[in-house]
Amino acid sequence: MSTPASTGEVVYDVRNVTLRFGGVVSLNDVNLQMFRGEILAVIGPNGAGKTSLFNSLTGVYTPQEGTIMLAARAGDVPVSAIGKKTHVINHLGVARTFQNIRLFPALTALENVKVGVETRMKSGPIASMLGLPRQRREERESTERAFELLRSVGLAARANELASSLAYGEQRRLEIARALGTDPGVILLDEPAAGTNPAEKRELAALIQQINAERGVSVLLIEHDMKLVMSVAHRLVVLNFGQKIAEGSPEQIQKDPAVVAAYLGTTTEEASELVGTASVTKIDTDLDLTEGDV
Amino acid sequence: MSTYTDVTKGGGQSRRSDAAEARIALAKRFAGCMFLAFVLALMIGTQEGTQDDFGYAFRKSVFAPRIGIFALIGVAVFLAVTFWPRIVPYLSRAGVRPLAAGALTVVVSFTLLNWTDSTDLNNGKFGGLRPAAAQTGGIDPVARLFFGSAFSLTPWLLLLIVVALVAAAIRFEDSSTLGYVGGGLAIVFGIWAQYAQSAVRSFLDYPDHSTGAGVALLGFVTIGVSGIVVARSHGKADSGGFFQRVYDWRPGMPLVALGAVVGLVGLFSAAWFSPTDRNAGIGLTSTMFHGTGLSGFSAAYLAWLAYVLFFATLILAGAASYLRHHLLGWVAAGLGVVSLLVTLYVMHDFSGLAAQSKFDGATGAWDNLGTGGWMLCGALTVLAGAGYLVARHEQVEVPDAAPGVSSDAALAAGSKLGPALLVVIIASALFFPPTATQFWQTVLVTEIGIYVLLAIGLNVVVGWAGLLDLGFIAFYAIGSYTTAYLTGRLPVKPPSFLELTPLAAIPFAIVICLVAGVLLGAPTLRLRGDYLAIVTLGFGEIIRVVANNSTPVTNGSRGAFNIPPPEIHIGPLDIKWGDNVLGYWYLLLVFVVIVVLLFNRLEHSRLGRAWAAIREDEVAAQATGINTVRVKLLAFAIGASTSGVAGVYFASQIGSFTPENFILNNSILVVAYVVFGGMGSLPGAMAGAAVLTWLPEFLRDQVPAEDRQMWIGAVILLMMIFRPAGLIPARRRRAELGGLDKKDSSETTAVPAGEGM
Amino acid sequence: MHEFLNYVVLGLTRGSMYALIALGYTLVYGVLQLINFAHSEVFMSGAFGSYLVVNAVTHDGAHPAWYGVIGILVLGLGSGAAVGAAVAYGLERVAYRPLRRRGAPKLAFLISAIGASFFLSQLAGKLFNRLNNNDFPTYFNVNHHVVAVAGVTVSLVQAIIIVSALVMMLFLDTMVNRTKLGSSIRAVAEDAPTAALMGIDIDKTIARTFIIGGALAGAAGFLFGTAYFFSNTMGFIPGVKAFAAAVLGGIGNIRGAMLGGMLLGLIEVLLPTFPWWHATGLIGIQWTDVVAFLILVLILVLRPTGLLGEKLGRAA
Repeated sequence: MSTPASTGEVVYDVRNVTLRFGGVVSLNDVNLQMFRGEILAVIGPNGAGKTSLFNSLTGVYTPQEGTIMLAARAGDVPVSAIGKKTHVINHLGVARTFQNIRLFPALTALENVKVGVETRMKSGPIASMLGLPRQRREERESTERAFELLRSVGLAARANELASSLAYGEQRRLEIARALGTDPGVILLDEPAAGTNPAEKRELAALIQQINAERGVSVLLIEHDMKLVMSVAHRLVVLNFGQKIAEGSPEQIQKDPAVVAAYLGTTTEEASELVGTASVTKIDTDLDLTEGDV
Repeated sequence: MSTYTDVTKGGGQSRRSDAAEARIALAKRFAGCMFLAFVLALMIGTQEGTQDDFGYAFRKSVFAPRIGIFALIGVAVFLAVTFWPRIVPYLSRAGVRPLAAGALTVVVSFTLLNWTDSTDLNNGKFGGLRPAAAQTGGIDPVARLFFGSAFSLTPWLLLLIVVALVAAAIRFEDSSTLGYVGGGLAIVFGIWAQYAQSAVRSFLDYPDHSTGAGVALLGFVTIGVSGIVVARSHGKADSGGFFQRVYDWRPGMPLVALGAVVGLVGLFSAAWFSPTDRNAGIGLTSTMFHGTGLSGFSAAYLAWLAYVLFFATLILAGAASYLRHHLLGWVAAGLGVVSLLVTLYVMHDFSGLAAQSKFDGATGAWDNLGTGGWMLCGALTVLAGAGYLVARHEQVEVPDAAPGVSSDAALAAGSKLGPALLVVIIASALFFPPTATQFWQTVLVTEIGIYVLLAIGLNVVVGWAGLLDLGFIAFYAIGSYTTAYLTGRLPVKPPSFLELTPLAAIPFAIVICLVAGVLLGAPTLRLRGDYLAIVTLGFGEIIRVVANNSTPVTNGSRGAFNIPPPEIHIGPLDIKWGDNVLGYWYLLLVFVVIVVLLFNRLEHSRLGRAWAAIREDEVAAQATGINTVRVKLLAFAIGASTSGVAGVYFASQIGSFTPENFILNNSILVVAYVVFGGMGSLPGAMAGAAVLTWLPEFLRDQVPAEDRQMWIGAVILLMMIFRPAGLIPARRRRAELGGLDKKDSSETTAVPAGEGM
Repeated sequence: MHEFLNYVVLGLTRGSMYALIALGYTLVYGVLQLINFAHSEVFMSGAFGSYLVVNAVTHDGAHPAWYGVIGILVLGLGSGAAVGAAVAYGLERVAYRPLRRRGAPKLAFLISAIGASFFLSQLAGKLFNRLNNNDFPTYFNVNHHVVAVAGVTVSLVQAIIIVSALVMMLFLDTMVNRTKLGSSIRAVAEDAPTAALMGIDIDKTIARTFIIGGALAGAAGFLFGTAYFFSNTMGFIPGVKAFAAAVLGGIGNIRGAMLGGMLLGLIEVLLPTFPWWHATGLIGIQWTDVVAFLILVLILVLRPTGLLGEKLGRAA
């Protein structure tokens, strides 16, 4: 899966973005292009600014400098994502999941997905109270669509269980289904594999590739699990201390001294020696170790 | 007192032996129980201190000999809590919970409830009635025996006998005979109580609305059911499971049984016609109207048709339930409805005729009716409902094609008793109020009903959207003032084309409250929970103070008065509400039913889910594309408009109001009602409001008037401690419980979960 | 000018009272994130408790020397604080801890507190009396002016209230920021589960927080009783105002509560004195409430987490 399925159209065009909290610089002059149809992974040690980047992309944070242009769905005219509210950006075709799962625990799995699906519907309170035909039709459609999504993430059998009663890995998948419910052009996954077991990780990798291939959704992925990242991502961007330090294909990144230095906390010179001598698998496991910091 | 010493202390504790720890825990619990007893002693003491002697009431409560009783109560509580784990297995045994509930109900009926409304006996409770009834010569000996022969202990003895019998049946698991005997006797005693009261009633010849015997009958029947459950289950299943089996076996049967009991009492025991000083049963009523020009149909009804209709419906409904016959069910439902209409017609007919032909004390159509006719109406409704349920049950049975398509169907499966309960509630909402006393009718209309409506509205804001609104009463005030304005009862007059009748003011009140809700919400809704609470609280106060001080506009603290009662003139429909309280009740019922139907749809709609989403996790809701501001504003606006409708109703029913009706305390109370009943649950919010508005009026008879709020506070506190999710928890809310802190300590497990009965 | 300063003194007197009560709200909010609605009844209990003690020691009509005044002051504050602390602790044990153990929804705590509030105020009414104008012995109301400079006067009662409130607030601030108890309170406020892992007994810390807040409110009850009146329903209005003050300063923030309380007191007293106020024709003391609330709303809309933000113990 190393051949980018990208079309060359830009989905997210991030230029010179800087985000500060008081005196702390969280993102420093970050440039980033994401292309339609690709799976782009953002990696970096903890505190590198990955989640800040996500939050800037989805309107939770407003960067002080730089521009973010968004054209989530094919054929969209790029618009600025800065200063727009989160739900507006969602309506522009960007869906996301959260690092620490944020479902609606007291709703059933089906209802969770329906909430996502229904943000694209029209019927208002009066139609609902009176049970007008259009509202009934929309209700039926949303149920069917939610079911279809649950089936695609393998949760159809648990549709009527409360979200809080699902297993951890199931909750992760439910969150993805809910995000897909809003019919996005881009989906942002924030550490989807955190806390899952190896079998679940394999399923997750397949799910991500399936979303990308079958639904044509571009995927932006933050992940610490290097095996997963290397197996699904078409391209990687590496952040450290709020700056982009590398960008390229999985193979390139694995050999990049700057990246290794960032992860091992050594200087670039030492790291390049390391890259020279050690095998790729060695680095792989080293990179994996960083997961322990989470 | 530092963190550091805490740690070392903790270490020290863990070095203590388990036995010592257990002893300390026990001692703590004992101290807690004694403290409880002490507080109870203070609460029950009737004295008050004075400015000169602040300690008087305290000394009287604590140093009087009766403190011994409270100490005993404390010890009893301590024992119960300590041995609770050993009691639990008994509680889950078949029949134990209904037995306890039934015994408790009977005790309550003997001690707290009125057995007569007669002014001759200034204390209408059992204790007051008993000596009078026992000594009166003219009373039926069977009834006199009930009220006390030897040591005036008969009723208590009866209760003791059946409880002992059933308890013995539970203890000796194989003894089904004991169970049947105990259960049968209990039912006989219940009927005896009912008969005794009706004998006294006809002896006193005084219109009577007391509920004592009815509740006693209910308690005894519950004990009877317990006995039968014990006899049939042979100690195997618990009674909850038994009832579920009965229900699964024949879904309509519980309703049929209830309809039979109520109908029989209505036909054979209760009064049908009671102008000033007589209580005429249906037979006597029939003879009374002989030769008064009563229409042949009504005469026939009173003479025999009533019995025929009732028994036909009963048999049909019973047969339909037993045979699970679809068509028979429809027939029973139809006949029930027809009989109901006929009964209502006849009641209207003869009460109207009585007033026309100047019967002694007869005042008009629908007046002077006894409880009998209304009970029969209730019974027919229940039977019709049973038939309807049977008819519908077959259809629901069709297997669902798309598995899980309706998540609500799956939810409903958990509460199969729901529809049956609904039928009972409808029947009592329609036909119980006419049998109540004037006092209770007024309470129903001016307190319970209105607050139920308000609680439904606030439930949208607090329960569904999760926004704490402490100024909800402001919208109620706006609705009331809008009505006063549009009916021209404020110093500022509306333009002549806008002068309206109260009911026509409803749309205006809705719109104005919507606007007010949006105006309040728009700037403040980005505030988080507690900030929102204080802002809404401020808003409520502002509205009240403005109303109080803008004398040229609102008439200031004198408020608005002479607001006309509601009226409807649409085509052939021409209704004007006047002094009859009941009329307002039915009007209110219409409002409540409409609002409940609409809101029930709303809860399970897109908007309802969006509300749940923002309540659960606002950030995730935004990321999922929900416009949280809009959704919150909708909650505010919809809640506010409900409150506005309540305001219109209130203004035109009560006729005059002042800003004092809209004090902050009322806002807080409505929040308390919603949470008490079960946040986010429509039936819960209604039940909460109904219970907590009923309670102070009920306590009026039981405790000194000034102490009522103390007792209500205690009830709310206890409810929250033992059942924080409320009376009828919302399905969606139940999931949230058991979150946060799951640490199980002996103290919490020592306390019953408040489930069951 | 001197008139204005006199009003300032009045406002500070009222504000100190609000601030003392607001501290209890803010402390509890800091550690539990919930509004202790029954806090106003703790305040009320302090007034009754201190009255019983002080009245037992002295008798009406006495005019004690300066050391006597100080003695009574210490006795009153101490007994008020003790009763307030006891009631607050009882409240925590009965109305909050069981709910915490059950993981009850947040509103259940509020309603439980409302129940407790009804209960306490009516029980006090039952045990003592339901008059709404009980007075402390008169010597506390002596309008002896301790300061009288250029027409600005500060009466003894005002001085006592302002000074003792300031002393108590200083004490509290030091305790929360400097002592180990304070740091454990802050730790629980910051992150209860982590604090528990660090060996802090959460239940104990919460109980102590209630005790501290209750002591302050109880002492405030004594001061309020000496300055104005006391009754079983005295808590409600000052309670609501103090809660508003806590929110105004940033609920959960100790210095915020002090600032909010003082500000609210000043606003309430000073507002009607402004010339433009009379120009609007809105005479009547009730309007101050309206304007005070409007200012509160305005501040909150501009600064949604209050004037000083929300962190407990964080230096402003």
